[in-house]
Amino acid sequence: MPTQEFEGKSLEEAIQNACDAFHLPQEQLDIEILSKGSSGIFGIVGARKARIRATPKETPLDAASQRAKEVLAEILKYVDVPTVVEAEVREECVYLNIVSNGSGLLIGKRGKTLNALQYLVNKIVSREMGKNVPIVVDTENYRSKREGSLTELALQLSEKVKKSRRPLTTGPMNAQDRRIIHLALKEDQDVRTKSKGEGTMRRVVIYPVKKSKGHSSSVAEAKTSA
Amino acid sequence: MLKELIEYMARALVDKPEQVHVSEIEGEQTSVIELRVAKEDLGKVIGKQGRTARAMRTILSAASTKIRKRAVLEIIE
Repeated sequence: MPTQEFEGKSLEEAIQNACDAFHLPQEQLDIEILSKGSSGIFGIVGARKARIRATPKETPLDAASQRAKEVLAEILKYVDVPTVVEAEVREECVYLNIVSNGSGLLIGKRGKTLNALQYLVNKIVSREMGKNVPIVVDTENYRSKREGSLTELALQLSEKVKKSRRPLTTGPMNAQDRRIIHLALKEDQDVRTKSKGEGTMRRVVIYPVKKSKGHSSSVAEAKTSA
Repeated sequence: MLKELIEYMARALVDKPEQVHVSEIEGEQTSVIELRVAKEDLGKVIGKQGRTARAMRTILSAASTKIRKRAVLEIIE
């Protein structure tokens, strides 16, 4: 981000102006004082404004997001699809969005290609930064669409489990997808979820929660009163 | 193109990028991309349970689909 100069009647005011302009707290700005300003004699004669030069500090996450954007754009350059990569920092996480022609080539079957890109960019950037940086690679809102359809699947399966009183298993899923299923059913007191299996064959099992008469209602009461 | 793709990804993953060598054996429909890295870096391009190699292969096949070809990535020990 660029360096800018700010003025104010006092130093405090100049700093405040800089914070407002960048929408950042003072701690995240590098501030160089150009002139302290003075109120002059009785605030009339010789009053000078305070001037500062402010530059937003680059946070590690900003640096990571910049680098992640470069790496992804470089990989995509060789895939020969016209693309633009947008980067932003969202909730302590780098979010990269690929703007493309929407052919689905970059998504692949069940997000296979998109996940491969995400995994590699993550690996490369985390290695360079010397620590793990969470990076999400998305295109055409695939991630939020996938979350919607998985949540729906979770609800449908849980209804079946409640009716049949028998556990059901989802298909093999990666960690992200399993997490969505677990979260979708977290609040549901009538079922519980557990991941089973190894590696790429790991699945989510949805179990009915056994209720003994009277006991469950007292649990429910205890919850509502708490 | 495919060769450069693998070369870029491999160089970014290893400790000794200068020892990354990629060659492409072009066939009529199928290309074989051979990747050679320093011995210490072999694990880095393969990854835990081959995950990194699998990710590179997935991206490679997306790139080769685009140019209506098939490509196989061979990691040479």
